Amino acid sequence: MKKIFSAIAGAIVLGTSAGCTHLGVQPWEREVLAREDMQPDSNALDTAFDDHIYFSKEGTSGGRGFGGGGCGCN
Amino acid sequence: MAEKDKRISAGIAAATCGLLGAAAPSMAPAQESAPTWDIDSAVLYYGESDERVQDASLAIDARRDFGDDRSLDLALHLDTLTGASPSGAALADVPQTFTSPSGRATYTTPAGEVPLDDTFHDTRVAVDAGWSQPFARLYKFNVGLSGSTEFDYQHFGVNLGLSRDFDRRNTTLSAAVAYAQDTIKPVGGLPIPLATMPDAVDEDEQAPNRMGSSDSKNVLDILLGVTQVLGRHSLLRVNYSYSDSSGYLTDPYKLLSVVDPVTGELVARTPTPGSDGPRGIYRFEGRPDSRRRQGLYAEFRQDFSGKVLQLGYRYSTDDWEVDSHTLEARLRLPIGSSNYLEPHLRYYQQTAASFYRYSLVDGDPLPQFATADARLGEFDATTIGLKFGHKTVDGNEWSARLEMYRQSGVLPTAQLIGSQLDNARLPDFDAVILQVGYRFKY
Amino acid sequence: MLRALLILTLPLVAAPAVLSDYGLERYNGRVVIVDFWASWCKPCRQSMPWLDELSTRYAGHGLVVVGINVDAERADAEKFLRDVPVTFEVFFDPAGSLAQRFKVPGMPATYIFDREGVLAESHLGFKQAQRSTFEARVRELLASAANH
Repeated sequence: MKKIFSAIAGAIVLGTSAGCTHLGVQPWEREVLAREDMQPDSNALDTAFDDHIYFSKEGTSGGRGFGGGGCGCN
Repeated sequence: MAEKDKRISAGIAAATCGLLGAAAPSMAPAQESAPTWDIDSAVLYYGESDERVQDASLAIDARRDFGDDRSLDLALHLDTLTGASPSGAALADVPQTFTSPSGRATYTTPAGEVPLDDTFHDTRVAVDAGWSQPFARLYKFNVGLSGSTEFDYQHFGVNLGLSRDFDRRNTTLSAAVAYAQDTIKPVGGLPIPLATMPDAVDEDEQAPNRMGSSDSKNVLDILLGVTQVLGRHSLLRVNYSYSDSSGYLTDPYKLLSVVDPVTGELVARTPTPGSDGPRGIYRFEGRPDSRRRQGLYAEFRQDFSGKVLQLGYRYSTDDWEVDSHTLEARLRLPIGSSNYLEPHLRYYQQTAASFYRYSLVDGDPLPQFATADARLGEFDATTIGLKFGHKTVDGNEWSARLEMYRQSGVLPTAQLIGSQLDNARLPDFDAVILQVGYRFKY
Repeated sequence: MLRALLILTLPLVAAPAVLSDYGLERYNGRVVIVDFWASWCKPCRQSMPWLDELSTRYAGHGLVVVGINVDAERADAEKFLRDVPVTFEVFFDPAGSLAQRFKVPGMPATYIFDREGVLAESHLGFKQAQRSTFEARVRELLASAANH
C-alpha cells in the first residue's frame, strides 16, 4: 500500500513540477504526440473487447482508462 | 498571456533561422464538408479448446463531434455465447451426475474429465453513451451511462470524469468515478451458499436449497491518473484505481466437490428413490459479499520514427487475496504509408483467492466461503497476437487481428489429498480470438 | 554583420519585433494578424479557412493575415494546404525559433497587432463560439487611424 502511494506521489510531483523543462515539450513540438497511434485511446475497440474477455476469464479487471497527451490544442 | 508592448518597427532587422517567405496558392478557400459520425465497428470470434466457450460479438462505436472539442459517444455491443464452462467440480475416475442449474434436470460428465456445465446459449446486449466537453480552457469533463442485459443478469451504471492540464498541456491529471448497480436472477433461483446439491425436481416444483430468485450487486470504481509528456516522442501514463463491490458476488452456477479425507475421492451418494440426482456430494459455492480492490497501472508509449512501442504494467491487489501482475507490449510497425502490422504480447499472473479450494473435505468444518472456480485460483496466462491494418484512400481503416490465449493453472498442492495428488487437474484452456474491424466516417 | 549585432541586443527588446524581418514593415499602418498553425493541429482545420475569410473580407480595409507554420516536416504543411488552401501569406518556422520568440503557449496561437505595430490581442486556441468577438475586435482596430 505504502509503495503504491509513494509511486503515485512521485509520479504526480514529477508531472506537475512547474516551469520544469526536463519533461515535456513546447506546444509547437507536438507533431508526433498528435498522431493517432500515440493517443492513449488508440485501439479503443480492441481494448474494450480484451477487457471484456479478460474480465470473464480472469480474476482482476480494469484500471486503464483516460486521455491526455495528443496535440495539446485548444 | 503577458501583454508586453511589442512593436513592429521598420528599424530593427533581426535574423531568425531558417525562415522563408512563401505565398500559398491563391485559390478560394474550400468548404470542408465535414462528415458527422466517426464509426468504429468490429466483429469478434472467441473460441476455447475442447468444445468449451465460444463467443461471437459485434461492436459498433459511433462518435460525433459537435465542434470546439465537444463530442458524443454511443456504443453498442452484442455477444452470443455458447458452449460449456467448468463448474468447479473436480474430475473423478467415475462418471459424475449433476443436477443442472435450473434444478430440474441432470447431466453427466464421463470419467476422467473435468466437469463442464452446459452454459446457456445466451445473448448479451450492452449500450454505452458518453458526453465529453472542455470547460475553462484547461478542464475537460465527461459523463456517461452504461447498461447491459442478458437473460439472468442486468447492469446499469453511470460514470463521471474530470481532467485538468498543466504545464503547457504536458501534464494531465484526471479523476473518474463510476457506479454500477447490477441485478442477478439465476435460473432456478439463488443457491444457498455451501448447501448440498439436491436431486432434480419436477418442472412445477420449487428447486430446493435456494434462497430467493434474485439479488443485486453494487460496484463503485474510482480512477486517478496522471498523463505526462516525456518528450517529443514519448508519453507516460500512471493510474491508480480503487474498486469496491458489495452485494451478491457469488457465481450461482459454480460448485465444489466433497471428497473423502483419506482417498481424496468423491464421497458416494445415492439419489432419493424416484428421483435422479448427484451420485456424489457437491456443494454450491459461496463468496464474501464485499470485495475491495486496488490497482496501479503504468503505460509508456514511445515513437521510433513512425514505429510505436507501447508497454503496460498493471499490479492489482484485493481483500480476497487475489493479487495479479499484467505485463503487456504492443509494437506498431507501419508498412508503407497505408498499412501496419502490430504484434502483441501479454503475460498475466494471479494468486488464488483466500477461499479458493480445489475441493472440500468430508468431515471438515464447512468454511464460511469457498469457491473452486479456476478464475479465482492461481494461474498464469499468455497472449500472443498480431494485428494488421490498412487505411483506404478516403481515410477509412480495415483491420484484422488474431490472438492466441493460453491459461495454465497452478494446482494448490497443499490442499490435495489421496489420489488427488496424482489425478488432480485444473481446467486449463487455449483460446483463439479473431477480430475484423472497419473504421469509417459517415 | 549588422544583423548579427542586432541579434545580440535583441534580448532587451520584446520578441515580436522580428516581424519586420519578413518585409512586414510594409504592413505598417495596417492591422496584422499573426497565426501560428500546424498540420497536426485539429482546430487549425477550422481556424485557417476562417482567417482566410477575414483576410479576404477586410484586405481592402487594411487587414493583413500572416500564417506561421511550425511543422517539422514541410511536406506535412504542404499537404494540409492542399486540403485547406488559404490566400494569405504563409511562413515556415520548422525549428520553432519564431514560436520560441513569441513564447507561444499553445496551439493554435493568434496575435493581432494594431496599425502602430503594437500587440493588441493574443488568442490561444480556436473556438467557433469566439469568432464574432474576435472579428469585432479586428474591425475596431481597423477603424483606428495609424499615427505615423
